[in-house]
Amino acid sequence: MSLRIEHITKKFDAATVLSDIDLEIRDGEFISILGPSGCGKTTLLRIIAGFLTPTSGEIKFNDRLYASNNYSVPVEKRNLGMVFQSFALWPHMTVKEHLAFPLQSQKVQQSKDVENRIIDKILAVTGLEKLANSLPGELSGGQQQRVALARAMINKPKLLLMDEPLSALDADLKLSMRQEIQNIHKITGATILYVTHDQSEALAMSNRIVVMKDGTVEQFGTPEEIYGKPQTLFVAAFVGRHNMISGKWDGKQFICKNGTAFPAVPPAECFIEKGICPLRPEELEVNRDNIGICVEIVSKQYNGREFLYTAVDADKKTYHFYAIVTMLFSAGQKIHLTKKSV
Amino acid sequence: MRKIVKDHLTKSFLYFTIFFVFLMPLLKLFFMSFSGMDGIGIENYVLLLQDNRTPEAIYNTMFIAVFSTVLSLLLGGLFAFFIAYTNIRKKRLIELMVLAPFIIPSYIIALSWSGLLDTGGVLQMSFTNLHIPVPNMYSIGGIVFVMGLCHMPIVYLSVLSTLRKISKDLEWAARTSGYTTSQTLMKINFPLAMPAFMSGGILAFLAAIDNFAIPAFLGISANIPVLSTSIYEKVISFGPSSFNMAAALSVILSIIAIGGITLQNLLIRGSSNQDSMQEDFSARIFLSEPRRRNLQWGCIVFLGSIDMVPLLHMLLTAFQKNYGMQIAIDNLSLYNFSFLANNHGVYQAIYNSAILSILTCVICIIIGTACAYAKVRYQNRAAMVLESAASLTYAIPGIVIALAMIFHWGKIPHVYGSIGILILAYSTRYLILQIKNSTTAILAIHPALEEAGKIFGANELRIWKTIVSPLLLRPILTGAFLIFISALTELSLSSMLASAGTKTVGLFIFNLQQGGDYNLSAALSVLIVLIVLLAYGIVEYLNRQKTC
Repeated sequence: MSLRIEHITKKFDAATVLSDIDLEIRDGEFISILGPSGCGKTTLLRIIAGFLTPTSGEIKFNDRLYASNNYSVPVEKRNLGMVFQSFALWPHMTVKEHLAFPLQSQKVQQSKDVENRIIDKILAVTGLEKLANSLPGELSGGQQQRVALARAMINKPKLLLMDEPLSALDADLKLSMRQEIQNIHKITGATILYVTHDQSEALAMSNRIVVMKDGTVEQFGTPEEIYGKPQTLFVAAFVGRHNMISGKWDGKQFICKNGTAFPAVPPAECFIEKGICPLRPEELEVNRDNIGICVEIVSKQYNGREFLYTAVDADKKTYHFYAIVTMLFSAGQKIHLTKKSV
Repeated sequence: MRKIVKDHLTKSFLYFTIFFVFLMPLLKLFFMSFSGMDGIGIENYVLLLQDNRTPEAIYNTMFIAVFSTVLSLLLGGLFAFFIAYTNIRKKRLIELMVLAPFIIPSYIIALSWSGLLDTGGVLQMSFTNLHIPVPNMYSIGGIVFVMGLCHMPIVYLSVLSTLRKISKDLEWAARTSGYTTSQTLMKINFPLAMPAFMSGGILAFLAAIDNFAIPAFLGISANIPVLSTSIYEKVISFGPSSFNMAAALSVILSIIAIGGITLQNLLIRGSSNQDSMQEDFSARIFLSEPRRRNLQWGCIVFLGSIDMVPLLHMLLTAFQKNYGMQIAIDNLSLYNFSFLANNHGVYQAIYNSAILSILTCVICIIIGTACAYAKVRYQNRAAMVLESAASLTYAIPGIVIALAMIFHWGKIPHVYGSIGILILAYSTRYLILQIKNSTTAILAIHPALEEAGKIFGANELRIWKTIVSPLLLRPILTGAFLIFISALTELSLSSMLASAGTKTVGLFIFNLQQGGDYNLSAALSVLIVLIVLLAYGIVEYLNRQKTC
């Protein structure tokens, strides 16, 4: 049982928005589609939902054809749930009516009792019992999104689509809502496709992540693989804020431009070819003995736990690294950076 | 000390002027309705209600208003739906044809339809040949039909923008909950567009009871009284207490109008503020090929027949030598146009209307913009009072305003009978349009722009000249153009306030038609339509220039 996205291409007039997206998603997986604005992630989600048809390629769910370039199962027949960035709550309906609405669309209508029982259960699960008779205008952002989630899952869909659902919420609300979404995943066991541009959300919640750029898949793997073993330059830059150190690879050793060498696990081919060692900010440290890459501090950002420093080397390349709060550096200061020994 | 005295004097002067110009006429009218030959009392009302014609007029007014509103809602709502949501092309053309009955004066539309279906006309002969009963325009049905057409644009504009503001997300949420496109339209879009239907419907209703032109052209000769034409007839009959009776009728009509406005205000208060939402102009319903083209051309053909056919027929009538003859090539001539060209009265009427419109525009722009600025920037009390007073004189039917003007200014020498009273009437009537238009334009200018000017040392006048005026110029002038066109073709006010030397174009055409000179009235109407279309073309061109 799975969602098959087979060689999907989408063109709008002359512009190619998606080219040859090919993914297989297993039953019950939580998949994040991660990428910058304009990478095509929302377009892909809309094709899977049925609001757009692919120019070529096929979408199959549990071996049933959902879409091809000349065939499309209507949205309402795809047994989906969808959550939107704007919440998409109907201003003229109460919370209870929002939850009853999907139930009433089914061909086989349940009795009022059964319907009310289902609604009450969902209200309890999402903590919305007290708000059953409120209108969307009376709810806070977090409450509105919870209604949207409840509405999406009440028909027990096999596939849940989420289009940047937390983007419109405050920072602390985002964190608590992440837990709620993970909870929903556990309870429903549905396959979840979660579109986001926020890498921390993707890393925190997913079973696997699809990283996209300019309409193509850059890498498809688990959060650990995406974060720890980036396969392309873009993934290294976008996730984990890797520093691209230039030099030469020699087996399990990396020799920097200025001669400093350190042992490192060889990364993907594309980095070895270009002579780049991708190192995350937490993998760099300041060397007291002036061994390593010479950089000049440009700015620092305090985040309570540590400082994040930005520095440039002689070739004007930017480096990011962390340092504990007791090691204080000021702008203009010159220091040396090496790889932390594990 | 002196400044405080000066401020008080200015304020009192302003309040007094507002009261004197806007409110006193209406108060006088109200009191006149209670006075008669035997002194103060409700005698006038009693006499009116005993006379068979008055209850008939009240009934007709309501009947026509309700059913023409229903027609406007149906047509306006339908076309708003097609334009807002479907993927038909040539939307600009279709929208223009929907708005055409709003641009062209309603009496010209009444004239063109009555001419089209009149005895001896081409259409009538084909109808009788096909054994279909010929609809008679000079009937309640005819009035309802023409009014429904003329007010369709009001509903269209109200509903169109609301339909576009309904976010696609709301529809998609319904689709993913298991509903088809048509079910979504019924359960989500329609309820959300309901407030727009209601407010558009009330606006159409108010326009219907206010309308004098259509029941005048189609109803007077067929003896179908409505309140607006009854007031007119009472005034021109010059009986002993006819003015007082007319005042009583006016009060009745005003009560209906104020009832409608109160209803509208209640609705506005209840609905959520959608002004801040963005309109989505992309199509939502993608029809497949033969359907799309059929719908598109269906709309064009339908609207074309409604708009163009009567006007084309009127054009032919304008070239006809004698009314009722067959429309054939050898019967066409420029006789009518040459008659008009040689008629001194025509030039006088066009000149009067032009001067009136220009002066009204200038007065409204100056006073309206000043009022709007004071209201928006300084929350000036007097400006807000002025706005309320001006709303009243727009809400109250035109014919009532005209009568009130007669009562109030009649005693003051050199005003009644001159072009002065028309200028006063037009200005007080259309001022609110300019206040509203200027308010929108000023709100679009962020106060920071003016504050920046102040910081850099500019004084009030300089700020106005260099910062505010250039930004206000385009929106205010385009708004004023609409006032210009309305004033140019206006009939309600001029029918009562114009005298022999101050006839307006609308009144001239009215007199021609009532006198039986259909060909001449058609010819003059054709000229007016050309001028109106030309003026709108200029406004559109200027607007397009702005967006470049």
